Amino acid sequence: MEGNEMDRAGLQRIPSGVPGLDELIEGGFPFPSVILVSGAAGTGKTTFCLRFLCEGAARCERGLFFTTLSEPSHWMLRFSSQFDFMRPEYFGDAIVYEDLSALLRHGDQDKLLEAVDRRIAEVMPQRIVIDPITVVGEMLKDQYRSFLFDLTNRLKHWNATTLVTGEVSPGELYPPEIAYSVDGIVLLHLTEEYGDRRKYLEVLKMRGTNHSTGKHSIDISRKEGLVVLKARF
Amino acid sequence: MNARDMRQYENLRKQLGPVPRPGLIVLDVRTTQFVVVELVLLKALIGEGNPGLFISVDRPHQYMVHLLDMHGIEHTSVTFIDTVSQFSSSDAHRQARVGFFKGPNNIDTLPTALREWSSEDHGFDLAQCRFALIDNISNLLTFNSHQKVQRFIREFVELLGDRAAVLLVIDRQRSPNLYHSVLAMGGTELRLEAEMCNGNGEGSFKDSMTDSKEGVDHGRQ
Repeated sequence: MEGNEMDRAGLQRIPSGVPGLDELIEGGFPFPSVILVSGAAGTGKTTFCLRFLCEGAARCERGLFFTTLSEPSHWMLRFSSQFDFMRPEYFGDAIVYEDLSALLRHGDQDKLLEAVDRRIAEVMPQRIVIDPITVVGEMLKDQYRSFLFDLTNRLKHWNATTLVTGEVSPGELYPPEIAYSVDGIVLLHLTEEYGDRRKYLEVLKMRGTNHSTGKHSIDISRKEGLVVLKARF
Repeated sequence: MNARDMRQYENLRKQLGPVPRPGLIVLDVRTTQFVVVELVLLKALIGEGNPGLFISVDRPHQYMVHLLDMHGIEHTSVTFIDTVSQFSSSDAHRQARVGFFKGPNNIDTLPTALREWSSEDHGFDLAQCRFALIDNISNLLTFNSHQKVQRFIREFVELLGDRAAVLLVIDRQRSPNLYHSVLAMGGTELRLEAEMCNGNGEGSFKDSMTDSKEGVDHGRQ
């Protein structure tokens, strides 16, 4: 390499769509990359991911939403359509919804990887969501770690930015099985303060990014979904 | 491929013709759209079976082979040169005619290597090639100086340029120096069908990216 003659471009970034987040991570998520969005139930993980996909759809970037919950698309849309940013017409061509639960029940990691690969190759998305990845661990058991290793490697090569969500138990920050293999970790915290539950977002890791540290207060609104507020704690 | 991709394919096929014209050709494509555009471009280039080269410098060749397979695009006339890795860390194996090269930081030696590989024994004949497509040439700037990449392009075109089209897909906003130096080398521009995003997820190729160095939106209209 010829050090001082290098003419490298900065990392490509795509806007997350989450108001207030991009300014914490130098303008957006690296493209391509795999990002873990971790949090307990009710912290807004799915809302975060839907906002990410809708932002892409509005910019003509195709999205692919893999659910592991055996939830039909109309059921997910029924709730998420309450948000102003959600446009049901995105779902179909701009955002493709894929249910992996039937394959998960067979517990065969090769078939599952093949199905994910096949669908990605068909759709050719720039944005992918797998929600939640932790369900896969319960189904695959001993194969889970090798599955995650192969999955994240493949996702990085598909030229997309992928969000995988991880459900954690109270007190746990992130699912440790996947944390080492992702490029970024965004934590969504839910804490009890003075008899009230408050939500925070924290960027724990974002490779190649001079990201903000510390917890940032968040809110979930009808209009914009998950919003990072200005106050920092 | 959806309707947008097929429109783009028809547009590129029309510009390229049944056999692509020899010489250096450059396309200005947003980085996020490289995969889609390269797939559509390969479909147009292969046509009725034009022999050609696909050189991957950004990710293992298996991913493009998988895409070609998934979209029913026959690729037996294409030789893949993988400069990324002999063994992908994943086990995503695909069947293709492939040669491996010793890493993108040695890219300046690729033209000589291709000349040496070109023989009946290897089932690969440079003289028969009608096109060569390099996957994300800008990525070479991560491993090499601008001068070295320029030199590689020049030598690669000297190797193939009088009998094959050498196609480079570059994001002009992210790599303006490289883009303009390719034009200065005599490269001609291939135009993509310009479509605007209407906010409904329809349309294509509207810029949506920010550059981490500048942190601003680059609108490409």
